[in-house]
Amino acid sequence: MFELLKGLGSWLVSGEQWTGSDGIGHRLAEHLQYSLLATLVAAAIALPIGLLIGHTGRGAFVAINLSSFGRALPTVGLVVLVFLASGLSMWPVYIALVALAVPSIVTNTYAGMTAVDPEVRDAARGQGMRWYQVLFQVELPLALPLIMTGLRLALIQVVATATIAAYVSFGGLGRYVFDGLAQRDLVQVLGGAVLVALVAVVLDLVLSALQRVLFRHRPAPQS
Amino acid sequence: MTRTNRESRVTRMNPMNRRALLGGLFAAATVPALAACSSGITSLEGDGAGGGGGGSSKGGVTIGTANFTENQVLGYLYAAALEAAGVKTTVRPNLGTREILIPALRGGDIDLLPEYQGALLHYLDTKATATEEGTMQNALAMLLPRGLQILPYGEAENADAFAVTRETADEYGLKSLADLAKHNGKLVIGAAPEVKKRTVGSVGLKEVYGVEFKEFKSLDSSGPLVKGALKKGDVDVANLFTTDTDIAAEGWVVLTDPKNLIPGQHVVPLIADRKADSTVRKALARLGSVLTTKDLTELNRLVDKDRKDPEDVAYDWAAEHGIKK
Amino acid sequence: MSVDWSWIADHTDDLTTLTLSHLQAALTAVLLGLLISLPLAVLAHRVRRLRGLLLGLSNVLFTIPSIAVFVLLLPVSGLTRTTTVIGLTIYTLVVLLRNTVEGLDSVPARTKEAAKAMGTRPLRTLLTVELPLALPVIMAGVRIATVMAISLVSVATYIGDGGLGQLFTDGFQRNFPTPVIVGVVLTLLLALVADALLVTLQYVLTPWTRRQKQGA
Repeated sequence: MFELLKGLGSWLVSGEQWTGSDGIGHRLAEHLQYSLLATLVAAAIALPIGLLIGHTGRGAFVAINLSSFGRALPTVGLVVLVFLASGLSMWPVYIALVALAVPSIVTNTYAGMTAVDPEVRDAARGQGMRWYQVLFQVELPLALPLIMTGLRLALIQVVATATIAAYVSFGGLGRYVFDGLAQRDLVQVLGGAVLVALVAVVLDLVLSALQRVLFRHRPAPQS
Repeated sequence: MTRTNRESRVTRMNPMNRRALLGGLFAAATVPALAACSSGITSLEGDGAGGGGGGSSKGGVTIGTANFTENQVLGYLYAAALEAAGVKTTVRPNLGTREILIPALRGGDIDLLPEYQGALLHYLDTKATATEEGTMQNALAMLLPRGLQILPYGEAENADAFAVTRETADEYGLKSLADLAKHNGKLVIGAAPEVKKRTVGSVGLKEVYGVEFKEFKSLDSSGPLVKGALKKGDVDVANLFTTDTDIAAEGWVVLTDPKNLIPGQHVVPLIADRKADSTVRKALARLGSVLTTKDLTELNRLVDKDRKDPEDVAYDWAAEHGIKK
Repeated sequence: MSVDWSWIADHTDDLTTLTLSHLQAALTAVLLGLLISLPLAVLAHRVRRLRGLLLGLSNVLFTIPSIAVFVLLLPVSGLTRTTTVIGLTIYTLVVLLRNTVEGLDSVPARTKEAAKAMGTRPLRTLLTVELPLALPVIMAGVRIATVMAISLVSVATYIGDGGLGQLFTDGFQRNFPTPVIVGVVLTLLLALVADALLVTLQYVLTPWTRRQKQGA
């Protein structure tokens, strides 16, 4: 145990570990690229779906159960399947990560929308607001805290899972985990795992800080 | 994939395992770092070994295999040979690399694995120079950790090959591994991750031929990743197996090895002393003398191209060659 | 990418064995997770300081890639089913702990006080009042943990286990989509069936929630 932690210490601080194409700097940048791009694409797909279902109330069953389906989907299988269909490309990684992130965002966006007080919605309609005005000026702001929860949850899952990129020959911090497994170099595996966890925690803190700065004038509607 | 074997693993959760499991759990519940190194427990040694002594295969032999299809074929061939001699076997496919398998063999999770002479030698001694079969066999016997032994090596051989596409060979004028050094810093090599640290890999290519690649890409062992990358041009040089029928099918050029970096790679059984009785020795020696490189290559083709089960092709081959109950 | 139906027909035995092995790993992990999380949750619910520590720690555990957890367990439990189960248990624990604490929190203070006033002992209150009332939230956690565990088992294919996950490695190595498709579909089916069974179990276990709904 002590050996492993000592190894981790020197692994993390050694200069050559940070530079070059297999350096931590490069792997970190790759990992961020995979995770952020996948989460953004997922948000672009999932937010409209969640808002629409929440606004119209149609398809609620889908919205509620989608996150369960997302959790059930075996990422390894999905990656391999897309790999066999598309060959050596980034598609397996991005499709699997987006598929992982979409359900959490849809379900939480929908939950945020249903948490909006129906009376507030009716009052807005009563004032003669159009449907899109109700959606964007009333419902969306009130649903934002839960939407942000969904985004943060999705991002954490994606960061942890982006490790799989290394399985289909690409980079990211997962490189250390898979190479470490092949070489039975547990220090490398631990190093990769710690860095992934660190990235997830830091990104989550950044998002929660962002949430606080952006929406501090609006008290959250629920606890 | 296994048939009857999987079940036996499921039922193997005896009370002792469960106790070890709970102990591990409390360590693991805190931080993985804690779990990864909590004291010196290596696996569940008491599991089926039945204590030291001269070695006996009575309790059955668990065969572990590495993460590429040929090794599974070999694992099932061993199983077929042992079963023909009345020994019970369990095959555990796709366990990982040699780096993972050998500690598992020492720890008792597996008892036997199909190995390759030269690669095993370099795993045990990165500075090893022997390339001739007999010398390697002696060196291996000396180097193996206590509790493990190798049995006589077989006829079949699957060596490492460093291959390039016809176009790359023409473009850079590549015929032998020595030619690679003329293009230091320009070419990308693709191989399984463990090859980066192996003598028959980045280390040896640099020491023996002075080759330095622009990049090492971690792919797989003569599998879809490395072959896909070579085809696509993502890598210039690929580490493949000589028993891979794709080399001929794709017209790839295998670089020659004038300085004998790549040692002979005859298939050799690596076994734990506790299981190495005379029945096992005889059965595996007989298999080794019958199975040729050509047979092995053909079995690989059946599995990789015709999508036959490694288990089926192995048992069929064994039956055809009179190795059956 | 077409499905080779004859392969499926030829491998029903293998598929059954793998499915059972898959299910066994996931369910063992959920049961162990429950066994460990219950006392921890009671502790976290009662002791404020421990609560932050335990929940914080479990949040961090959740960010660690599961492959790494399996590999880092190799020195402890080797290439065994035990490694798979311990790794999975860690993840079920995270979900179960959080939900069980939330479930216990959701029990109204008045109810607990009423029990106390009637002279019920703390342990008895926990077992006969708090836990039953927390059951809907706990069961929600069990459902999430079960589905997650079923999906995660396949990651253990990298250490030579993984139930249906072995089909993924197999299909990958041989450029053969059929086993992969079958593996994905069976995993989803397992999760679906397990979830449906748990919903039914919850329905049976908490009759009072049904009456409440009818009354409302």
